[in-house]
Amino acid sequence: MKLKRAGDPREFDVELVSRQGTALRVRIGQQEIIAEFAPNAAGGGTLSIDGRRYQTFGVRRKDSILVAVGPASFEFKSAEDSSRRRARGLAAPEIVAPMPGKILKVLVRDGDLVDAGQPLVVIEAMKMETTLAAESAAVIKRVRVAVGETVDHGSVLIELSPAPGSSTGESGPRES
Amino acid sequence: MSTHVAAADEAILIGPAEAAKSYLDIAKIIAAAKESGADSIHPGYGFLSERAEFARATADAGIVFVGPRPEVMAALGDKVAARKLATDAGVPVVPGIETAEISAAREFAALVDYPILIKAAAGGGGRGMRVVASAAQLEGALEAASHEAEAAFGDGRIFIEKYLARPRHIEVQILGDEDGGVVALGERECSIQRRHQKIIEESPAPGLSAPMRTKIIDAALNLVRAAKYTNAGTVEFLVEGDKFYFLEVNARLQVEHPVTEMRFGCDLVCEQLRIASGGKVPQVPAPRGASIECRINAEDPEHDFRPATGSVMHLIVPAGPGVRFDSHLAVGTEVTPWYDGLVGKLICFGADREDARTRLVNALDEFALLGVTNNASYLRAIVASDQFRDAKLSTRFVDEFFARWHPGDAEITTALVAAAIASDGAFAEEQPSSSASRPDATSRSPWESLKNFELWGTRR
Repeated sequence: MKLKRAGDPREFDVELVSRQGTALRVRIGQQEIIAEFAPNAAGGGTLSIDGRRYQTFGVRRKDSILVAVGPASFEFKSAEDSSRRRARGLAAPEIVAPMPGKILKVLVRDGDLVDAGQPLVVIEAMKMETTLAAESAAVIKRVRVAVGETVDHGSVLIELSPAPGSSTGESGPRES
Repeated sequence: MSTHVAAADEAILIGPAEAAKSYLDIAKIIAAAKESGADSIHPGYGFLSERAEFARATADAGIVFVGPRPEVMAALGDKVAARKLATDAGVPVVPGIETAEISAAREFAALVDYPILIKAAAGGGGRGMRVVASAAQLEGALEAASHEAEAAFGDGRIFIEKYLARPRHIEVQILGDEDGGVVALGERECSIQRRHQKIIEESPAPGLSAPMRTKIIDAALNLVRAAKYTNAGTVEFLVEGDKFYFLEVNARLQVEHPVTEMRFGCDLVCEQLRIASGGKVPQVPAPRGASIECRINAEDPEHDFRPATGSVMHLIVPAGPGVRFDSHLAVGTEVTPWYDGLVGKLICFGADREDARTRLVNALDEFALLGVTNNASYLRAIVASDQFRDAKLSTRFVDEFFARWHPGDAEITTALVAAAIASDGAFAEEQPSSSASRPDATSRSPWESLKNFELWGTRR
């Protein structure tokens, strides 16, 4: 499987080569790692790599894998999903709320052309303002929220379509 | 059921999650106190804890407010009044004047020397602040700041003060009673801050000389005596070189109070209640050792520390001698966007600072929280760093050493191995685990290492 981590440009090619009892072989890119994994009653397990032990815990979700390694926690997503979207000329087809909160500002309108990194929406959660920006150049297809609205985690705030001239975008120049 | 509701003998719903309609609604809180027959209200920290009008409304309702009197809170809550109070009590303040006049500003700058800081008199939270490094920049900066202040606060008044380049934040814990008795329970160093929010606090302040400590504590005591302060409070100072300046008084219990409790072996909330019921301030116990606290926040250190929410799926709480974890978290707890992102405080005590520090590193290694993105790993990196070990402390510490942070490649590799195991279905699926059945209390213990290990100091 190919995994990605938010904010990390690298793509990790990970394969569980073999697993016999507690002995594991995992391939990450070109590297093969020999490890031991002893599951425990609480649903986690002790992972030993190169003589060091780590308390780990993992959860497989529909679209991601969450893992804890000691105090660190990681979320991995399938790289296939994001590359498919990029092939359509968009980093993401919509802007979704990363957390529940209140919409403080909407900085764009339907039909606006935006650049990668351009701020689109400001959302307030936990006494803090978070600005959501476009991940790639795009056209604002539809703004689905208004200032003052309370939104849930994962709700779609803005729908995007590919910017004119981007690779194979569906709203690219059309033949007449 | 929320942890605080479950812990209470009796709980009364005061409104919806939105703080403005519940925790910030004075009338609802007083009504709940009356309904339950409570004779006093402890305001905690945050929310209404420093609102003089809340203290007044409580007293007016015939209920004891566990904190200072409303008029004292009001006086200390006003920056200008608090500054005057300090100056009158002989406590040094950061030199400053209120003026938007260029000639007066020049005169002041010449007196205290550059750099100076220009800020809106009505403002707060770092908005519209400008550091002016030389006389050439002064006029432009003054005009721009005045415009900004007018636009942002509808109040163009400007405050100019001496800019301290690398100050330390040191504060003094005090208690005062109705009979005028006042005691100080040592100091806390809270220089490790991000965006003016403390993240690591400790006591004592490392390397603070005995005469300097005495001067700072005496200044705090003089100030609270002059203010006729009662109950628990904190006097905050900025310290640079051999100079210290009064910053403000926090007229309430502070988030970092466990640092003092661990070192003095006391219970500050208990003292607060004792004082509120007419008791006297305690004899100050002899302090021992050192303690350090770090704040576990629901935030993403890899994405500009943006707030995170979620449901706790897995939690391991460190334990052992000198380890304390204050938190409402349990498996299944929802961390919502409604409140501050502070979800836990991990405090360690040791015979000396290094002992407390290594214990905190090990406690953080034991800690695990999955389901809510948090800063535990970032805190671990700071506490384990040479800069923190060597106490290179100033309020710029985070900017200087830990402004950006990402997990190391070895850590990511280990996580990927764990992900491969998870994809194989080895872990429980979407099933919250319970910290009660903690499998392995000795995790990260040297005895578990298959190879050589270090018995003393911090493993890297």
